[in-house]
Amino acid sequence: MHLLRIALAALMLGGGAAVLAQTGRDVPPAASTANPSGQNPTAASVREDQLLRELNKLQGRVSIPDGKAALLEQPQGREWRQFREGWLPWIGGIAILGMLLALFGFYFTKGRIRLDQTEESGVKILRFNAFERFMHWLTAVCFIVLALTGLNYIFGKRLLMPIIGPDAFAALSQWGKYAHNYLAWPFMLGLLLMLIVWVKDNIPNRVDVAWIRKGGGFLGDAHPSAYRFNAGQKMIFWIVVIGGLLMSATGILMLFPFSATDINGMQLTQAVHAVIGVLFIAAILAHIYIGSLGMEGAYDAMGSGEVDLAWARRHHDLWVEEQRAKTASGPQVHGARPVPAE
Amino acid sequence: MARMKFLCDADRCIECNACVTACKNEHEVPWGINRRRVVTLNDGKPSERSISMACMHCTDAPCAAVCPVNCFFTTADAVVLHSKDLCIGCGYCFYACPFGAPQYPRVGNFGSRGKMDKCTYCAGGPEADLTTAEYEKYGSNRLAEGKLPLCAEMCSTKALLAGDGEIIAQIYKERVVKRGYGSGAWGWKTAYRETVAI
Amino acid sequence: MKTIILAIVAAVLLAGAAAYLLSVNQKPAYQAFSTTGARVTPTDNLVGPNWSGDPQGRGAGHRG
Repeated sequence: MHLLRIALAALMLGGGAAVLAQTGRDVPPAASTANPSGQNPTAASVREDQLLRELNKLQGRVSIPDGKAALLEQPQGREWRQFREGWLPWIGGIAILGMLLALFGFYFTKGRIRLDQTEESGVKILRFNAFERFMHWLTAVCFIVLALTGLNYIFGKRLLMPIIGPDAFAALSQWGKYAHNYLAWPFMLGLLLMLIVWVKDNIPNRVDVAWIRKGGGFLGDAHPSAYRFNAGQKMIFWIVVIGGLLMSATGILMLFPFSATDINGMQLTQAVHAVIGVLFIAAILAHIYIGSLGMEGAYDAMGSGEVDLAWARRHHDLWVEEQRAKTASGPQVHGARPVPAE
Repeated sequence: MARMKFLCDADRCIECNACVTACKNEHEVPWGINRRRVVTLNDGKPSERSISMACMHCTDAPCAAVCPVNCFFTTADAVVLHSKDLCIGCGYCFYACPFGAPQYPRVGNFGSRGKMDKCTYCAGGPEADLTTAEYEKYGSNRLAEGKLPLCAEMCSTKALLAGDGEIIAQIYKERVVKRGYGSGAWGWKTAYRETVAI
Repeated sequence: MKTIILAIVAAVLLAGAAAYLLSVNQKPAYQAFSTTGARVTPTDNLVGPNWSGDPQGRGAGHRG
């Protein structure tokens, strides 16, 4: 039957037979029998490869009142997957483990920064009032939960899931997601409060240049002058403010998905949130270290709010002078004996 | 075992939405959740074309890779399924999916977004085949009954093909040769990293 | 220490308030992705009566 048709076609259309011979298929050439019009009715229609080349995604129209459904194809999903599964664990792992290693190395080579004993030891000076401590800890406890639950999105399935099993891990992640989404709000409040209350003490000035040149009290052995916050603390402040605002902005975009941006925007938002997040965590690890283990006497500032005057004079001499000038009678300085002027 | 795929012949799809309706009805898919949809490109212009799209059950599926709780699994038929018991509704699979397949019962991403729902290739979920528990979470399991997905089975123009990838690719190729034109297997390059030579 | 506990309490309370305020904003898909003609009574289906994804009322049987 086929042979007969082919023979017939060959008789009718010499050229058609030539094409047939080239392809070697036992099917008649389309132009002759199967498609009598000899035309492609959808010749003018769009083609996938051409659209993907020109627009890099396929956007159409759909009868569902959901704008997202009109996106037919976005190969960028594969790229975002490559970021999330290929790059992000490495960026996060190197940033956080690298920071931990650096801190361990610092601790074991240089040890704690000790508190000097001077005649002012034992005298206390108020460094952070109750409200300042409250807003710090509000932000801090939220940050710790946000950091752990955030890292769970990246490393949970790799580290925790094999240990506790998929069901327990899914339940934990579900609660972690609730915590991440809702504790973000008190975090943002604490962030704004810290920005308002502390920004005036964190404007960089000439003293900071000298402080950085001398390597601070951390890398060098000297104790350069500083006002209320030294250059290192100002850096942490601006890291927290800028990083925190970026995290808040991208986080809100992800809490209300597709409210302000399309799928590629959401992918970019997630990437920014994740990368800033792991770098933020690494920076805060250093802040936690220097505020607790790294420096003797530093924790009191956020613990009780009152620091040893000897510590304050060592690390924030210009601030102590300011405070003493402000309150000549000395209500800020609690202590039995008068402090001789130096 | 077969390697199950979908193939939409864009030259045949007439945007009748029967596949969407069939899917909705077969699985009792609730309002606002669209496991399958028909997207029309360049609507109303001479270059118009409609494509029926659902989960393509990708090779090396991006959704499964990005899931933070690893709730996806691939069956012996290469169908990509997920467990609603593990899903935390984070929405990452939607960012990764090239075809917009994952659906969520709630819109905002805060708190419970609900368990993700998507095309199961009419193959149910991780529960035992043809149980009530499976039906209530994932809809019916036609594959376990030896049937193919209903959307493709009742496609009026046979534009939507479902079945073993090699077989449907062969059907499509023969069709293209016979009629003399074809626009290729839409989405295959992205989903399966291969395409049907036409 | 007192400040830290106070901060934890405040964080939990604020998170609870955020959870409440956001849940008012949360829309199920049947409201967000339907037009005015749709009359949906949430019943047992693939996403459950609470539209949470957990089907309840087990044992309703294989419907349809």
